Amino acid sequence: MIVEGLSVRFLVRGAEVRAVTDASFELKPGRLLALVGESGCGKSVLASALLGLLPGNAEVRGSARLNGLDVLAADEKTLATRVRGRMVGLVPQSAVTHLTPVRTARSQLKEAVRALKPEQDVDELAVRVGLEPELLDRYPHELSGGMAQRVAIAMALAGDPPIILADEPTSGLDRPLVDRTMDLLAGLAEEGRAVLLITHDLAAARRSATDLAVMYASRLVELGAAAEVFADPLHPYTSGLLGALPEGGFRPIPGHPPELTHLPDGCAFRPRCPVSDTCTDDPSLARHGDRLVACRRPC
Amino acid sequence: MGRARAGASRLVWGAGTLAVLVLGAVVLPWAGGLDESLIHYESVRLAPSLEHPFGTDAGGRDLLLRAFAGLRVSLLVAVLCAVISTVLGVLIGGLSGALGGWPDRLAMRFVDTLNSVPHLLLGIVIVALYRGNLTAVVASIALTHWTTVARIVRAEVLSLRERPFIDAAISGGASRWRVLHRHLVPAVVPQAAMSAVLLLPHAVWHETALSFLGLGLPPHMASIGNILAESRAAVLNGAWWVVAFPSLVLIATTLAVSGMASVWRDRLVPRRRSELAL
Repeated sequence: MIVEGLSVRFLVRGAEVRAVTDASFELKPGRLLALVGESGCGKSVLASALLGLLPGNAEVRGSARLNGLDVLAADEKTLATRVRGRMVGLVPQSAVTHLTPVRTARSQLKEAVRALKPEQDVDELAVRVGLEPELLDRYPHELSGGMAQRVAIAMALAGDPPIILADEPTSGLDRPLVDRTMDLLAGLAEEGRAVLLITHDLAAARRSATDLAVMYASRLVELGAAAEVFADPLHPYTSGLLGALPEGGFRPIPGHPPELTHLPDGCAFRPRCPVSDTCTDDPSLARHGDRLVACRRPC
Repeated sequence: MGRARAGASRLVWGAGTLAVLVLGAVVLPWAGGLDESLIHYESVRLAPSLEHPFGTDAGGRDLLLRAFAGLRVSLLVAVLCAVISTVLGVLIGGLSGALGGWPDRLAMRFVDTLNSVPHLLLGIVIVALYRGNLTAVVASIALTHWTTVARIVRAEVLSLRERPFIDAAISGGASRWRVLHRHLVPAVVPQAAMSAVLLLPHAVWHETALSFLGLGLPPHMASIGNILAESRAAVLNGAWWVVAFPSLVLIATTLAVSGMASVWRDRLVPRRRSELAL
């Protein structure tokens, strides 16, 4: 999937919320792209846009092309019959709440398989995601967070989609379960799928991501191979995020992210930037070697 | 713990009482050889005795057999009304909540309009048009009571459709119809079934009220309402049993169903101890 110039705006009581601004990236088969950033920077809105799940007051620009179809321009019927579940599978956060509470996991997984790819075997699907098939006979409230997350991943795989969007799939899970979920997602990428992982858990991203995109105040500010970005961050915000990790010295970035309704002119990170506070022009992603960085004065 | 025990006790008492009443309604009129059209002038308004435990009415008919035969008719009417009202309510309330927009507004204004007229008055209009038969009584109650179920189901659907599992179904490629009948309706079934059960005693009382007013079932049919209507003159003559026993059967049925429904409601909506203290 090639995403170009994706912008999402909301009009809320006269105010304009710039949730995503001019995001361009590619989801490549066999790669796991982790999209990281602080809460409220627009990551989940970006994922919702790729599934056509934005509310009615959203204004979307740009394109997201997959097999000749522009997902952003597709109508509701096309999204329901060709895109959701078939081209793009969603792994949600807090999976228990994403399962219908009055039906067993098996009933829901069966329904998804029957609608999307009837030749698939439900039990085999469960085994593929590391779930014992007997657990499918439980109701959602009888499943632990990790089990529910694996059911949700199985549901996302029901239509064998080439793209998996995982929106904070590890929130609320303990570290061993986070690692297990991340390994499972990495395995899906190794099978040849393109995986977009949205997370604010940098440790989880470091464990499994092949590529890393960093988002700040609705914009992508750095995009490159995960190992390189973690080893040598170029954008001051990426450096700040890594510096805030225990292994980075526990040094939080001073200040707070701006409100998406009141983004400053020029570089939105300028008020918090340790490198320069004079970047008043709007930096767009520019190539620095193999990396794309939205900064006039990279570290 | 005490609350759970109280719930279990209510359930046992409710289910036990209802079982006895239903068994009585099915077996007693048949076993006692009740002939509703037969008048016994030699045994008019006899006080309760071993031969006639509930006494006899103004037509000399055994009130025990007649009260239970009346209960059978009242329960039949109530069950039919509850089923029809629930099906209509779930259908209209579910579609209204799921579709939203103008279909929702239109359906809810229609419900408001129906609710603005007292149900009994509206029921009387319907039975007045087709008076004197079972179908008219069922229609008069069912067509005026689906609105309550529709409101409950619509409110539940409006709340449920914002829940993450609906988003998950949509993002999994489910059509609007599949979301409605595979995810929303199963989730509202407990609430709808609850309203149906609570409607049972209400419908029994409604049927009783209509028959008491002389607008319900034909006089020869032994419904509780008909028996109570006939008993008005008997009370003035001191024949208290003609009112007391059929009323007791009616009250026992209502309490049994309501008791069971309240246990079900408590299990459906578990509350914390701290909430119960409020």
